[in-house]
Amino acid sequence: MYAKEMLKQSLPLLIFCGLGGIVAGSTLSVMADIIQNIPGLIVVIPAIIALRGNISTAFGSRLGSAYHLGIIDAENMWNNELKQNVIGSLVLSFLISTIIGILAYGTTILFFDVHPDPLKLISIVLLAGIISAIILTLMTIVIIFIVFKRGYDPDNITGPALATFGDIVTMFCIFGSAILVEVIM
Amino acid sequence: MIYNWKKIVRFGLPLLTLCIFIEIFAGQMLHLGQKTLVVFPIFLISIPVINGVGGNIGSILGARLASGLHVGYISLNVKDEKMRENLITAILMGIITYAILAILIYYVASFGGIQMGISLIEFISVILGVGVLLVCVISLISVFTAFWSFKKGLDPDDIVAPVVTTIGDTLGIMLLFLFIGAVGI
Repeated sequence: MYAKEMLKQSLPLLIFCGLGGIVAGSTLSVMADIIQNIPGLIVVIPAIIALRGNISTAFGSRLGSAYHLGIIDAENMWNNELKQNVIGSLVLSFLISTIIGILAYGTTILFFDVHPDPLKLISIVLLAGIISAIILTLMTIVIIFIVFKRGYDPDNITGPALATFGDIVTMFCIFGSAILVEVIM
Repeated sequence: MIYNWKKIVRFGLPLLTLCIFIEIFAGQMLHLGQKTLVVFPIFLISIPVINGVGGNIGSILGARLASGLHVGYISLNVKDEKMRENLITAILMGIITYAILAILIYYVASFGGIQMGISLIEFISVILGVGVLLVCVISLISVFTAFWSFKKGLDPDDIVAPVVTTIGDTLGIMLLFLFIGAVGI
């Protein structure tokens, strides 16, 4: 019975998240040309997606705990506790994006003797990291607000919702940043 | 005030940096297989799906084990019945999810007019091969990490998700290239 309940509750959600993955993957396949044109771009993709997933799920689960602790609620959302969380997530995104850019540049030279344009690569990662951070932070706050209003437990909703939309938003941001940087530089 | 952005950054930075180092290796593997991926864009679509489902299965299993350990209905014993039931259900659920999504990806790709170069049967064998191995390994790692962190007095809720998603991303990409090679395309 125990196993049946797990299957019944999680399987639809897993398939739904998989559909989100198909959308993110289709974006990636549309990017095939730009991936070939910008050396090192493919290297940063798993790292940016992982960064986004880790930071926004932690942000979501902290807001969930804050709700259970009674620190924030639907009437009192934009307080200093929320602001500290938002600033923390954005600063982390900025720092980790920079590390990703530098690591990708260094390891690409080391392993493949291919020389990517460091300025281009780091700009793409930073732009994609920051823009996706802003979009997903706002999205998390909106999701949490709706969840509060309806009286659901945020812990059950934010994780899967962010897992599904996070990858899609991030992939769009990488694609957009790559095109932007390619046009400007 | 409970939250402070400097604390959020200080606690988040070490684990995230470690994850990013491993994800860059996943990215370099993609770089290594870039030619295959550009010739067979259907595998580009599959990457976020393979990684997403693997990470989700590991995280769900980890969260369930964490709750069981905290409440006490799962004991720190490799022969624990409830743990084994969870483990087997997670693996079964993963295999079902990969089978359904493999078929969906194939039809989405052919509907989107993408260059295929691979038959449905070949594609399903690759994705299922990767999927079965990946969920087995990830589920075992999830059990191990949950038990280990709980034994150390850490909260498995904080540890299991980043560990399984990071290992899952790297292993998923590695297995994908292995199976593409095995099918001989």
